[in-house]
Amino acid sequence: MSWWEDIEIGARRELGIYTFTEEEIIRFARKYDPQIFHLDPEAAKQTMFGGLIASGWHTAAIWMKLAIESRKKETAAGNPLQRAGVSPGFSDLKWLKPVRPGMTLTFTNEVANKVELKSRPDMGLVESRNEARDQNGEVVFSFIGKGFVQRRPKED
Amino acid sequence: MSERLHFEDFTLGRVFDCGTYAVTKEEIFEFAREFDPQPHHLDEEAAKHSMLKGLSASGWHVCAIAMRMLADGILNKAVGLGGVGSREARWMKPVRPGDTLRMEAEVMEARPSASKPVGFVTFDCRVFNQTEQVAMISMTPIIGRRA
Repeated sequence: MSWWEDIEIGARRELGIYTFTEEEIIRFARKYDPQIFHLDPEAAKQTMFGGLIASGWHTAAIWMKLAIESRKKETAAGNPLQRAGVSPGFSDLKWLKPVRPGMTLTFTNEVANKVELKSRPDMGLVESRNEARDQNGEVVFSFIGKGFVQRRPKED
Repeated sequence: MSERLHFEDFTLGRVFDCGTYAVTKEEIFEFAREFDPQPHHLDEEAAKHSMLKGLSASGWHVCAIAMRMLADGILNKAVGLGGVGSREARWMKPVRPGDTLRMEAEVMEARPSASKPVGFVTFDCRVFNQTEQVAMISMTPIIGRRA
């Protein structure tokens, strides 16, 4: 396990790649984002998007899925795992381009900033820049994630 | 069909009641299994010993639920044309199985597009459980202007 102190600003990793299918775009939208351009491939053609697109929160949920899978792979490979805890939230989340059925996105994570917490001396905050790029390398989704990570205990 | 809401209807400070959403344990598990398989969302025993001291919904699940309430409460009654993002989200308190959430969305900014007959409306979506606020999720959908 590694601590907040061990995390380096600028450290970058690829979380994984994911191909969105029409079936799962519609399934997510029925439950959480029932707007016509997420639900109905035919009707979506008449909208400004010109076809079905994924809910932006679906793209965000896939980021989470790949982040967890990546963490499991790193543990399995014997790499030190961050003592990560819960997240207080995020900022600057942007849906820059529509995500369509059949698109394959590559998700990455880069440590952007580390913040000491006066209220929680046993924890530190890590801010990371997260991106998803399409097959042409263009950024379609990005946000600044925030997570609490345990600090190395002080030796008495 | 009744008159749809347009960009012009979203005046600064206007607050929309976006209804309620009952969160079941099954749904917390279902979302977590697919998108956020961590013990504090999936395993009741392990969750008791986690930082949140009990089973809680994924923060991304809370965002998805807020989206559903925004779609039902506002966007599907308006000329909704997608969204550009979320400036900020704060997961303030855990969302627990059995919670009934309610949401109010306040217009914080309304900016017309310079080139298209649409505008960008930024809402602060405040999510409450039975007793207190559990999350704040900013959302900026694009909404059509009145012809």
